Amino acid sequence: MHVGIAGAGLMGRLLAWRLLQRGCQVSLYDDHAPAGCASAAMTAAGMLAALSEAAEGTTAMATLGAGAVVAWRQLLAELAAEGAPPVWFQGRGSLVVAHPADAADLERLRRLLTTRVAADRFHTLDAAALSELEPELAGRFDGGLYLPEEGCIDNRQLLVSLEWVIRQLGGEWHAGTSVKEAAPGQLRLADGTQYFDLAVDCRGAGAVGQCPGLRAVRGELLRIAAPELQLSRPVRLAHPRYQLYIAPRADNSYVVGATEIESAASHAVTVRSALELLSALFSLHPAFAEAEILEMNAAHRATFTDHLPRVEATPKWLRVNGLYRHGFLLAPTLLDKALAALPLPQAVPMAAVS
Amino acid sequence: MQPPADHWTLYGETLHSRLLLGTARYPSLDSLGAAVRSSGTDILTVSLRRQAQEPDGARSLWQFLRSLERRLLPNTAGCHSVKEALTLAEMARELFATDWIKLEVIGDDYNLQPDPLATVEAARTLVKRGFRVFPYCTEDLVLARSLLEAGCEVLMPWGAPIGTGRGLLNPYALATLRERLPDATLIIDAGIGLPSDATRALEMGYDGVLLNTAVALAGDPVIMAAAFAAAVTAGRAAYRAEPMPPRQTAVPSTPTVGTPFWHQHEATQSGGAT
Repeated sequence: MHVGIAGAGLMGRLLAWRLLQRGCQVSLYDDHAPAGCASAAMTAAGMLAALSEAAEGTTAMATLGAGAVVAWRQLLAELAAEGAPPVWFQGRGSLVVAHPADAADLERLRRLLTTRVAADRFHTLDAAALSELEPELAGRFDGGLYLPEEGCIDNRQLLVSLEWVIRQLGGEWHAGTSVKEAAPGQLRLADGTQYFDLAVDCRGAGAVGQCPGLRAVRGELLRIAAPELQLSRPVRLAHPRYQLYIAPRADNSYVVGATEIESAASHAVTVRSALELLSALFSLHPAFAEAEILEMNAAHRATFTDHLPRVEATPKWLRVNGLYRHGFLLAPTLLDKALAALPLPQAVPMAAVS
Repeated sequence: MQPPADHWTLYGETLHSRLLLGTARYPSLDSLGAAVRSSGTDILTVSLRRQAQEPDGARSLWQFLRSLERRLLPNTAGCHSVKEALTLAEMARELFATDWIKLEVIGDDYNLQPDPLATVEAARTLVKRGFRVFPYCTEDLVLARSLLEAGCEVLMPWGAPIGTGRGLLNPYALATLRERLPDATLIIDAGIGLPSDATRALEMGYDGVLLNTAVALAGDPVIMAAAFAAAVTAGRAAYRAEPMPPRQTAVPSTPTVGTPFWHQHEATQSGGAT
């Protein structure tokens, strides 16, 4: 079975890997080079925060993303077993804190977690418990919330690891090849149409205009290196107007995000957004003042009007889209749904998973 | 008997609902749409400062808002100077084909307090350029007069700072404003937290309320929107029904049956019934 996949972002790569494992021939198409992929997955914090996202947005996130930490652990173990480059990951929970002036926003989140999610799936911490859990924050906040089920993953290392395994398994990678349209059994490229047994559309925001109800929302993030600070888990800062979080990576680097602007504009990060993100960072801990700004990036998140993802399949055609700002949280569930929707041979038995 | 119809007008446009809604910070666009329908509002305000660099980038959002079939009132939220507000108003007029503009010039970035001096200056210019201006202002009477003199027919004093949900913080000044400017259309904008705050504003004779956060950040925005619709209806009806004046003390108006008259006298003398 020959599968053509449009879009080498997170879903495109995951599907390519799984389909290659099942003995399919896979051709992957993307506008950009594998490393410079402009997908939303490249500009992401990799937060696996089902509960806080369910409280802040759509309650369905609690169900759709509930198993994300466990599922990623398994997926990463499989990648490691295939010899792919390692991916930094942690499932030690996440924290939410607030400055005294924004205590009402923390309280609002606490109430929503209690009523929409479950009171027994998070802990309210006092200042002492917070310092014990995250010593860098000692003395800086009166308390916070701890959500033990949450975690985060290094988005870029994962993209690299998936690229490696796709090439290793013989996947064809057509970088710099834009797909104009994905129809059953065919992908229309700039220079002609390619035919397949199955055409998969994972173009994310690239499909806006061809997918009813899909729109792009702009998100901006910073990457910084802060050798002085050792945050061991993602920290969200409750704020009256913004969604602010700091997700750690290996080697004391951090991703700080994210703005959310109803726009498909693709200009660089604005001064205002940079100020918002940097102020949040500095207010979390003044030692961030000496951190090095590695990058500031903007990306488009594709979403439907209900902010929920869609997996749609017809004979010879599959589309996964609308992952919005929850790509890494939702990907394992959507991967399973997508594979279940396809008439595929059974998985080829793999080497024992360590 | 049905009470007579209670329409009102804003710059010549006849409206039914006295609730105006903002469009930011809902859990999703679908949730916004459902809240708009359950609120029964006729007017939605929409900000575009953050889309100004490339307004066409937000085409999907504009299309969605138009699909809700309400009157759109673009606003200049996020502007800190007269120049910014004027530029954005012109952009909004072109983008939404309307001369209505909710003028916001922010003087303090944390509590989003309006800059009164810049707001008056911007209002003057906008009126001269043919806009119908809805200025977001404080409850200051002199400022309100200046805005009316500048040509605004509608004023939007705050109840409390934007997003605080603290209700009507200065009822004395708000009552003064209403009494001293009986002919102006006054809409409470910002600070409303609970439906009872909205009811109170309408009971005081305010013509309408505009709110966003109280609905958008409620656990269930759709139910909260319905609650506000009912609250506004109740407040307006109460105002039209001419409420009885409250009494200072609970003095019995007729002798209480079964209590000897000399004891009734004692009760009022000793303040026992207060």
